[in-house]
Amino acid sequence: MVSEMNLVKLKRFILSPYTLFIVAILIPPLFVVDPFWVNRLSLYLVFSVLALSMSLCWGYAGILSLGHGVFFGLGAYCMAMSLKLLSPDSLTQGTPFPLPDFIVWNTPPGEALKLPWLWVPFQNQWFGLVAALLVPALFAALVGWFVFYGSVSGVFISIITLSMVVILNLVIIDQQPLTNGFNGLNNLAMFNVGGFEFDPYGLPTYYLIAIACALTLLGTRWLTQTKAGLIFKAIQADEQRVKYFGYDIAAYKIFALSVSAMIAGLAGVLFVINSQYASPTIMDVTLSIAIVIWVAVGGRDSLIGAAVGAIAINAIQNVLSESESLINVWRLLLGILFLLVVMFLPKGLASLGSLLQRSPSVTTDTATPVEAVDSQPLKLLSQVEPRK
Amino acid sequence: MLSSILSGLSIGSVLLLVALGLTVIYGSMGIINMAHGELVMLGAYVTVFSERFLRLPFLLCLPLAFGVTAGLGLLIERVVVRRLYGRLLDTLLATWGIGIILQQVIRLSFGPELQNVSVPGFLTGEYRIGEVSLQAYRLAIFLVALALFAIALLILYRTDFGTQLRAVTQNPQISACNGINVNQIRSYTFALGSGLAGVAGVMVSGFNAVSPTMGTNYVVDSFIVVVVGGVSSLVGTVASSALLGSVNSVVAWMSNDVLAKVVLLGLAIAVIRFFPKGLFTIQSR
Repeated sequence: MVSEMNLVKLKRFILSPYTLFIVAILIPPLFVVDPFWVNRLSLYLVFSVLALSMSLCWGYAGILSLGHGVFFGLGAYCMAMSLKLLSPDSLTQGTPFPLPDFIVWNTPPGEALKLPWLWVPFQNQWFGLVAALLVPALFAALVGWFVFYGSVSGVFISIITLSMVVILNLVIIDQQPLTNGFNGLNNLAMFNVGGFEFDPYGLPTYYLIAIACALTLLGTRWLTQTKAGLIFKAIQADEQRVKYFGYDIAAYKIFALSVSAMIAGLAGVLFVINSQYASPTIMDVTLSIAIVIWVAVGGRDSLIGAAVGAIAINAIQNVLSESESLINVWRLLLGILFLLVVMFLPKGLASLGSLLQRSPSVTTDTATPVEAVDSQPLKLLSQVEPRK
Repeated sequence: MLSSILSGLSIGSVLLLVALGLTVIYGSMGIINMAHGELVMLGAYVTVFSERFLRLPFLLCLPLAFGVTAGLGLLIERVVVRRLYGRLLDTLLATWGIGIILQQVIRLSFGPELQNVSVPGFLTGEYRIGEVSLQAYRLAIFLVALALFAIALLILYRTDFGTQLRAVTQNPQISACNGINVNQIRSYTFALGSGLAGVAGVMVSGFNAVSPTMGTNYVVDSFIVVVVGGVSSLVGTVASSALLGSVNSVVAWMSNDVLAKVVLLGLAIAVIRFFPKGLFTIQSR
């Protein structure tokens, strides 16, 4: 016999936004048969993974990164390098080793063709995949070590990350012989597991991305429920106090940024599997800011809100991009919406949902953000105990 | 060598020109105005507009652009920035949102294509000093940058508004106790900084193509200058523009423009990390 308690629990589990979200992303392919749309839908899920990464970093750990495109781009480039070497074009250059076509074009006649050392290990697809996760994470750890152990305050971290994305974008474009510059890497092989090829327009690829997205959601949710997640939030509320409790704040921030970067790298991998190219446009300022906008509008400290924000904004954008003037009007509206959300609804549209559910007293709290910000952290900080 | 120095000075004066408005706002209000680049862009479009419809002489565009962008700055401060004092990150995001809105409004009204502005005859020639030729327009930018710097100094140190502004910068509460209308001073400061950005836009439009997205580069450049120069003084901004201009021209001369830009950004990151108050700040206390 099922006890009442268990029934309530079961009901809450089924109706929880997390379950609903995961079910919702698994259903569409049952109705959508057009391969083009299957591909588009999975692209939105890729962006929602990116939004989860930003939500973890900004909403939970309070690090507003304006350069998240770097981590996404590094992941995408690592994966793309492997898939480039595995593509039929690269394998049939007449050399004993695979060679990307642009390297052949760039080699002056008479010189021996050779694979640059940076490319050599990427001949293995799994090396590319692991590098796509580790390179962004290590790079983030390095950046984090550099800024968080210095006296760099919140706003300047945003400026530094912004400069970082500009620098890397310029370097990638400039290092043409190694990266194919502005054109990026295209004409890639399909992602291949044990002989099965993931066709970007096929259902298996959709499910691969959807499952990765669901696992990322559950993983980030788990992380935010751990003690580390609590410390992240506490640091945001009162950094000094947490510091005096004996916690190494910089270490926690570096950890948060690295995990977030690794998820962004994963999004990069999924992007390459979905779109079959990597170019400097996916690691530029525009994309980095776009991520912040999705997450701000959706709800920076709501994982589901951020993910749904990314999907919704990209879907609308895509539908409207049929016409030049419509898309421009939409971008204008999005700018206005972003401004309004930042000013009046700092927790994004996701907080509207909880406003409707809770008692009216909460509503008045959020109407005056200062109070809401003040009372919550106190409750939260009381859960954090001094470190032994 | 001489040409390298001149090119450094020329780059430096453009940097000073676009960063001056940001220094005024950031230095005295502590606000990161991410719409700064778009205000420069708007100033450039004032020139385009006046050339197409008003047929004003080029030099008259300078005060016109100042008026338009200062008015807009006043509006931005009153409607948005004022509500976000004390929420630095949100101010950054909100001003970025304003930047996006401005960009889209311009794109919808002028189109996404590049615009070219014709420059009056007396600014197009070249002067020769010994071996080196000097473009008249570069010289004009240098002079306008210096003039704006002088005007900004004059406003800050020789007017009542400037005195009140410096008081508000040091301590808003005590200033308010002494009868200074802090909100009003902040509005005017924001308007002044925005107006300076507009003037910079007019000058920039004479040598660079004008497009709705041109602002992004300028906002990054301006921030580098302000960060390296330190926030406390306008003199620091001048020193940092000169330094960054020469570093840029030397690195570009040794390798290429892209690497020069990378070095500048790297320099800015290092300064933020190791000298959070900037390189040209006089130690106090």
